[in-house]
Amino acid sequence: MSVASHPIIETVRLSKTYRTGLRMKRVQALVDLNLQVEEGEIFGFLGPNGAGKTTAIKILVGLTKPSRGYAYILGKPPRNPQVKRKVGFLPESPYFYEYLTAQEFLVMAAQISGVPRVDIKHRVKEVLKMVRMEDAANLQMRGFSRGMLQRIGIAQALIHDPKLVILDEPMGGLDPIGRKEFRDIIVGLREQGKTVFFSTHILADVEMICDRVGLIVAGRMVKMGRLKEILTAEVESIDVTLKGASGKIRKALERVAQRALQSGELLMLTVRNEEEVERVMSIAREADVRITAIVPRVKTLEDFFMSQVKGEN
Amino acid sequence: MLQRIYGMALNTFREAIRDRILIALIVIAIVVMGTAKLVQPVAMGEAEKIIKDLGLSAITLFCVLIAILIGGRIVYREVEKRTIYLILARPVRRGEFILGKYIGLIVVLILSLMVMTVGFYAVLLITRVPITFNLLWAVVMTAFELILLTAVAVLFSTFVTPVGSAVFTFMIYFIGHSTHLLKHLAVMTPLPLIKFISLFLYFILPNLNNFNIRGDVVYGVPLNPQAMVFSALYSLLYTFTLLLIAVIVFDRKDF
Repeated sequence: MSVASHPIIETVRLSKTYRTGLRMKRVQALVDLNLQVEEGEIFGFLGPNGAGKTTAIKILVGLTKPSRGYAYILGKPPRNPQVKRKVGFLPESPYFYEYLTAQEFLVMAAQISGVPRVDIKHRVKEVLKMVRMEDAANLQMRGFSRGMLQRIGIAQALIHDPKLVILDEPMGGLDPIGRKEFRDIIVGLREQGKTVFFSTHILADVEMICDRVGLIVAGRMVKMGRLKEILTAEVESIDVTLKGASGKIRKALERVAQRALQSGELLMLTVRNEEEVERVMSIAREADVRITAIVPRVKTLEDFFMSQVKGEN
Repeated sequence: MLQRIYGMALNTFREAIRDRILIALIVIAIVVMGTAKLVQPVAMGEAEKIIKDLGLSAITLFCVLIAILIGGRIVYREVEKRTIYLILARPVRRGEFILGKYIGLIVVLILSLMVMTVGFYAVLLITRVPITFNLLWAVVMTAFELILLTAVAVLFSTFVTPVGSAVFTFMIYFIGHSTHLLKHLAVMTPLPLIKFISLFLYFILPNLNNFNIRGDVVYGVPLNPQAMVFSALYSLLYTFTLLLIAVIVFDRKDF
């Protein structure tokens, strides 16, 4: 079987148990995690804090061994040096060698990643340009801001031109401009044919750039698929806003709705379907109450995320 | 493989030479050697020996401190600061990582040794003590002692905190210079258990007295080249074993 026929990332019943504390209490960080990521896609690995995202990523980059199950990158174990040549990794809140300059650090990263000696200088220049850090190349990293460190982080992950880029919470701690820049970089990587696997709990970023997502809760994969499949265009509920409803009429309207919110003269009702909208409209017509807006609500990733997390807990 | 080890060693070297502890220890060592000038008027004809002995002892002591303080945190700090993630996610074998860190630190130590030796010879010049290059043999043997002791510090650094590593390495240094007492204890004690423990420690701990020829060079005792070559080989073999254990310990770790 050729290497190309494998998913770029595949885990089979991947499990990890830690023992912590004096009593060596067992903590199950991952439970039978099955995951497939295809080449060329941006995959968002979602989950609340402590769900096991970082543990799974550490196994995928060969920092941790699984207790049970398997992980494969391009059909091979993650600790295989040939595999590691093809993987770029940015850890969560990365620390750097603060006494080194950005350039010295990137040269070292290139040297230990197998970049041919003759290409190192050129490659360092190229990635510094990509993350717009050419001007800071010769400064020691101890003076860098969070945003600058994150850019150096992505530069070091890309220094050896990897096929697969694994990013652990890359947008954490970045301001909106920084996040936008990071999203652009990630989309740019897909355009270059690279696969990007990133963990996050910032759902807006996922909705904007991911092809597929996987949701992990308490170490288990609870949902995986294309965003379009998960977030169907199905209407979740309908918000109807009315003006001038009071007394008995207001009470009658509220009885129809799932939720009601009064704000000054306005009454906002949340109803489940079109029939309920019709009933609200009929009551309003009879009482001469004006309807100012009818807004259907479709399911957002946040709704999906919250429902899954609540369901698992 | 060589490129990766070189990359790691260069990184370690750069970090260490920009570390304030290193610079402070080298400066203090040279100042201590300089205090020899104060003892010169009251030394009653022994000034030459005192200045030489003080200088060579200061070189050894401060280089040992560098090895213990920087070596003792060299791996642990990478784990604690999580810089290790950026290294081991790359095609770097864990053995290459340990070896690169070790070599980088040894280069720093050899350079520190050279700077302090230059300082020592400057003190000899200032105090008008006749310069003999025989003294350099003591420095060479200190280098072999540092090669071994740094491996001890690096090994501890793979599994204990910097403070723990510094304490344990210093204990090994201290006991390593007193192994003859262990042997003596084994001969003298009537208790079989104490005898066994003393002999076990005597054989397993490094005999660092082998590297101390400072007295010989200061007092002009003829050197034994065979013993020196044996000590150098002993240092290299012991170091190889310690680094091998460090790699095995480190390879089993999860991060």
